[in-house]
Amino acid sequence: MSNDDTLDLFMNDPMAFFENSITRMHQIPRPELEEKQRQAAARRFAEHRESITILRQLADKEGITEVRSFNDLPPLFFAHTAFKSYPAALLDRKRFDLMTQWLDKLTSHDLSGVDTEGCDSIDEWIDRLDEQTPLEVITSSGTTGTLSLIPKDKHGATYTMKLWRMFLFQTFGKEPTEEDLHPEVEVIWPNFASGKLGHLRMAAMIKREFTGGDESKFHALYSDAISTDLMFLASKLRAAASRGELDRVEIDPALLERKEEFEAMQLRRPQEMSEFFQRVSEELRGKRVFMTSAYSLMFELAEAGLARGLRNVFAPNSAILTGGGTKGMVLPENYMEVIQEFLGVDEIQEGYGMSEISAFHWACREGRYHVQPWVIPFVLDPDTSEPLSRSGRQTGRAAFYDFFNRSHWGGIISGDEITIDWDAPCPCGLASVPIEHDIIRYSEKEGVEDDRITCAATQQVNDAAIDFMREFES
Amino acid sequence: MSDFSIPALIRGETIEGDWVSFETRGQGPKFQATNAHNLVGQLPLGSPAAMADLQEITFDEILDVLEALGQALDFETNAHIREAYAAGLAASNYPASLLKNSYATLPLAFARGTVREIAEQRLGIAYLEGWVEQTLADGRQLRLRAFGSRALHIPAGNGGLVSAISIIRNAITRSDAIIKAPSNDPLTALAIGRTLAEVAPGHPLTRHLSVAYWRGGDTQLEEKLFRPEHLEKIIAWGGFASVKHITRYLQPGLELIALDPKRSATIIGPEAFIDEATMQEVARRAACDIGVANQEACASARVIHVLCGTDAEGLARADQLGEAIYSAMQALPASLSSKPKTFDRELRDHLHSCRLMEDWYRVIGGEDDEGAVIVSRIDEPVDFASILSGRVANIVPVDSLEQITRGINAYTQTVGIYPESLKLALRDQLPLFGAQRLTSLGYACHITSAMPQDAIEPLRRMCKWIVDEVCDPDIVPPMWRS
Repeated sequence: MSNDDTLDLFMNDPMAFFENSITRMHQIPRPELEEKQRQAAARRFAEHRESITILRQLADKEGITEVRSFNDLPPLFFAHTAFKSYPAALLDRKRFDLMTQWLDKLTSHDLSGVDTEGCDSIDEWIDRLDEQTPLEVITSSGTTGTLSLIPKDKHGATYTMKLWRMFLFQTFGKEPTEEDLHPEVEVIWPNFASGKLGHLRMAAMIKREFTGGDESKFHALYSDAISTDLMFLASKLRAAASRGELDRVEIDPALLERKEEFEAMQLRRPQEMSEFFQRVSEELRGKRVFMTSAYSLMFELAEAGLARGLRNVFAPNSAILTGGGTKGMVLPENYMEVIQEFLGVDEIQEGYGMSEISAFHWACREGRYHVQPWVIPFVLDPDTSEPLSRSGRQTGRAAFYDFFNRSHWGGIISGDEITIDWDAPCPCGLASVPIEHDIIRYSEKEGVEDDRITCAATQQVNDAAIDFMREFES
Repeated sequence: MSDFSIPALIRGETIEGDWVSFETRGQGPKFQATNAHNLVGQLPLGSPAAMADLQEITFDEILDVLEALGQALDFETNAHIREAYAAGLAASNYPASLLKNSYATLPLAFARGTVREIAEQRLGIAYLEGWVEQTLADGRQLRLRAFGSRALHIPAGNGGLVSAISIIRNAITRSDAIIKAPSNDPLTALAIGRTLAEVAPGHPLTRHLSVAYWRGGDTQLEEKLFRPEHLEKIIAWGGFASVKHITRYLQPGLELIALDPKRSATIIGPEAFIDEATMQEVARRAACDIGVANQEACASARVIHVLCGTDAEGLARADQLGEAIYSAMQALPASLSSKPKTFDRELRDHLHSCRLMEDWYRVIGGEDDEGAVIVSRIDEPVDFASILSGRVANIVPVDSLEQITRGINAYTQTVGIYPESLKLALRDQLPLFGAQRLTSLGYACHITSAMPQDAIEPLRRMCKWIVDEVCDPDIVPPMWRS
């Protein structure tokens, strides 16, 4: 294979490049990896500079025509605000044509042919993008009256789930067995069945990747979807409340018409939860499962299960994945033990990721998150955003360049404080860059109101919007 | 190691020692304060009868003492004030030039003419000095007098002036004040109080002023102090959370005068574009409303609605005005406005993203955190309008006035308007939506205490309005004869 083909494989199909082995992915020597990363970054930037309008504008403004070294990248990174830089009024006014134009500037895919004629809701708009383009847009929800919209695509989503399967069922340091590569599991999804929020989009992907298309192996806690339009209303309500403007909020009549549907959803929930636990205790007891959710949700589920007298419900070799930080939730110190007691599994895996990039960094047995080889991590000075030295132990604002991302620019500055010791090898034996376990959002650290509704709060926020609709009508 | 110390002041006596350490978040200073938990017994007035000495002095004497106090507050010579300035510099977001300027205005704030005007305009000195007679239609005679009350003040920490205003209001109303020093202006109230004790030792005004620091929200301390047997009024400035927190202590006999979080707005009419000279003048005025005190005041301009229309010509005008405002803001003298010491990280990220969204926004300046003007290309403020700070304003072009009233609500304090004719046209409407003060463009931060504040009369509310009725049975038909 030519050098060029090797690079192509490395940046576009890392599973093939590393021969489906997570051990190989994280054993590649640092200098060799960094040279490949530098070449991949240069090539992806050159591609994206042509295909992503706002990256080109930023690069022109910064006078950057090519990427030669890692430190050429941070000035080109987007803040999370880039994905909500449209005026929220466009959503209120249902100008999905203009929303499409806005999104077009953020993605490498061509959206100029998208038909938004007659589009009446955010969900419908995203569904049309799903149908007419390679995109699979995810939303995350804010409190400032707006939603982030991230132009992921179907290819990336599918590939990411295949990667998940590798990391969930393989063991670092061991070559994968046939069983590791093709595990059979029931999927436990302690959440709403679908929606456009990042973590809910995952439900469909997980269903595709982990059940081999057998729907009967997918067990969601709630059967309903979360409406993006309802989440948008919730976000507007929180923003209006903080400005003393709740009396000015207007509800889209099309959404208001669905009030009874939303209320019925609320009423179904207790019943569905009982059924869920019944299924867990009878049909799924002792089976090997895959389950994933944020810490707090998993804790709540464990408490509810233990209160029903259920413990050690699944097979010890089940794959359980959690993460997402504890984001402002107050959990008791022994929350992991409570979760473990309910699930009865040998191990609970943790990972670190964010909606704005595709990569998910898995924790090793030392509890450190190992950066995936297609991601270049940076620790930035939190005030100036200048990159700190790539040597010694550094604490600062996390930034990442994920060159595997194809549908949107993969350079992002996060709101997280991380620590990386660049020189000390991780005691777990892996060669890749380890991020220390304790990660905190700067907003949380500084005690300011965070601009995000966490995955865990989805339900409460959703309920608040339904309550408001009820009052609004009366 | 503490950056500074906050002693307590109880009725003229400075109490040092018994230090407790405090750390502020992030890069903020470390400091120590005399433990207020051990002063809870001494802070409130032992008996309401101890207010009597305040009734025995004349208003003229109050003016004499305050005038002398003001002269003693000279920045160059007063060591307490210098110390307060140094602490304020470490604890607040104000650059040196601005903070210094706020102390320079103190002598004028305490000057005879200033204080007399506040008392006369807001209360009527006669009501403070004695009993004012009124005769009602049924023939009864009223004698009214404004008495002071036992009050706790929680001033805002933006600049030293709020502490000064609290002390002046306390003196005018002949009240008893306990001031909880704000952490971002920890020593000004104390410095004024100590100077007062030096200028007028043992004077009733000195004996009715105490200052202490505790962490706001320290319920253990506050539950002991915030009770009707100690206090009648709490005057709280400040943010949503702190004002909301105080409401838990309210009960019959203990009242809250809330000077709660406020935002301000600006409206500019099409007349601004009559000619170049007028536009430049309007820009200078708007720049003043944004830039003075580095946009830290509740009266500071943030969202600027411009009635220039949203067609191409209108947007071009909005851009022109934005450029002119940005230049005028950069030209403001350092005593009024300067590059902010710190800049909100989230806001910086938003500016960064807005710059790349040329269809919707034009960002003028801001590359160096020096302040910026964001010109919307749609008739809507930016979605992050609530965090505009550090001299960042948002120009919103609109076609009609209706689009402006949507942004006016109960949190809207000041509305700066150009020209006067537009203000006249709006003044009966805007208050319905919540606007509290309408002023000529350029004067938003040019504030006097001789007017109502936040649509209330704080001085009148600080007083107890007592009635002495005289009813002569020959004039007012008595009920026992019916």
